[in-house]
Amino acid sequence: MTIGISIALILASLLMILLVLLHKGKGGGLSDLFGGGFSSSFGGSSVVERNLDRLTIITGVVWFVCIIALGLLLKP
Amino acid sequence: MLTAFTRAFRTPDLRKKLLFTLGIIALFRLGSVLPTPGVNNENIARCLQQAQAGDSGNIYGMVQLFSGGALLKLSVFALGIMPYITASIILQLLVVVIPRLEALKKEGQAGQTKITQYTRYLTIGLAILQSTAFIALARSGQLFPQCREEILIDKDNIFAIVTMVLTMTAGTGVIMWLGELVTDRGVGNGMSILIFTQVIAVFPAELLNIARQKGAFVFAVVIITGIAMIALVVMVEQAQRRIPVQYAKRMVGRRMYGGTSTYIPLKVNQAGIIPVIFASSLLYLPQLVTTLFSNSAEEPNQVVQWIEQNLVRGDTPAYMIIFFLLIVFFTYFYVSITFNPVEVADNMKKYGGFIPGIRPGRPTAEYLNYVLTRLTAPGALYLGLIAMVPIVALAVVGASQNFPFGGTSILIMVGVGLDTVKQIESQLQQRNYEGFLK
Repeated sequence: MTIGISIALILASLLMILLVLLHKGKGGGLSDLFGGGFSSSFGGSSVVERNLDRLTIITGVVWFVCIIALGLLLKP
Repeated sequence: MLTAFTRAFRTPDLRKKLLFTLGIIALFRLGSVLPTPGVNNENIARCLQQAQAGDSGNIYGMVQLFSGGALLKLSVFALGIMPYITASIILQLLVVVIPRLEALKKEGQAGQTKITQYTRYLTIGLAILQSTAFIALARSGQLFPQCREEILIDKDNIFAIVTMVLTMTAGTGVIMWLGELVTDRGVGNGMSILIFTQVIAVFPAELLNIARQKGAFVFAVVIITGIAMIALVVMVEQAQRRIPVQYAKRMVGRRMYGGTSTYIPLKVNQAGIIPVIFASSLLYLPQLVTTLFSNSAEEPNQVVQWIEQNLVRGDTPAYMIIFFLLIVFFTYFYVSITFNPVEVADNMKKYGGFIPGIRPGRPTAEYLNYVLTRLTAPGALYLGLIAMVPIVALAVVGASQNFPFGGTSILIMVGVGLDTVKQIESQLQQRNYEGFLK
């Protein structure tokens, strides 16, 4: 049981990292941090981006559930 | 002030943005208290208590501040946005050094996107490194040197360790994504709002700590100095020099353009709090190295001894001087990166603008450079002095290292707060409402 959820968590983590990296980075790095420059937002997002968002959210939920489940299982 | 808030909530799209931001913040805090599976939560809580009582356990001051106390709890979001900040710093420095990156930066929007993408890759790389380092520290018991409890439940199981490292790395990725979501669909800049959240999160606890340990009088003094400092910081953050620019009238077809007079706002503290972050990140490195490589078996050599005596605790003269000099240096460095007088002068010339009394082109660039250099001097001094405050307070009141009204936390709170409020206000003003700031 523990091993199974651990493997699921590892897979979800890897997928999560991959999906986050697939997103186009919004907000250009540190120069925007702490006030500086103007932020430009250009329109809505494309279909690809929206599907990616949906996929990322689903993966995120799975990841979260895995963490909580494993945490409860491993509780001493 | 309050009516402005209700107005902000009455505007539909602004309300949506505000609620979205609050939701992300809630998620973020939830992840910051959720322990990584495999960590023994009760033992960590006991160790944390010991470390706080002992007062010398706070060697991870800055990192702990940015992670809102999540780091030493080894929660899912333990690394916080520190990897992202470090990655951004590294890339900023590399842009100056590597010609290819410089070329990318000059490309404008597309190049900037590419640099951001590199930053994201580097963030994940750093996250893997740091999570491995912290899990290793926890495993060998060096995370809390005085504490003898077992922090990890099953510390010899490599599989469990790998799971933990991966979970924390993915957590950093999620934080990065949350930040970008806020930038994209919420209010203000996501990353800074997340830092803001973490700083605010430890604030009440630290204040209560002071009230409980030092009594009502010291508490009152701390509050009063804090409010005075906030006022000072707001004043300097808002201060700017306005260089007048006159635009010539020109005809394009049948329409008249230009003929207006505006100004270039040059802030006294153009660099924001980034120099402080740079400097403390750099100063934190020798501490980390000595903790990682010190084993009690052999006598440490002189370099290590010097570092341990002078750079680990924040109240030694050597630390203060180095910190101050680094901040001044980085202020100038960062201003020179972000504001390029030659570029501004060229742009002005292109659109027919000029500063009254100064010829366009090179003289304008020289003038801008002169003004900026002089203006940055008080800005750098101010940043250095503000950053010194917690260290002085450490000596006078005997407060802990992450003193609640510490310079960096105040700079972050005020800087991000002002910025976000300004953004909300500009959105309100699109609908002709009176804003927060009069």
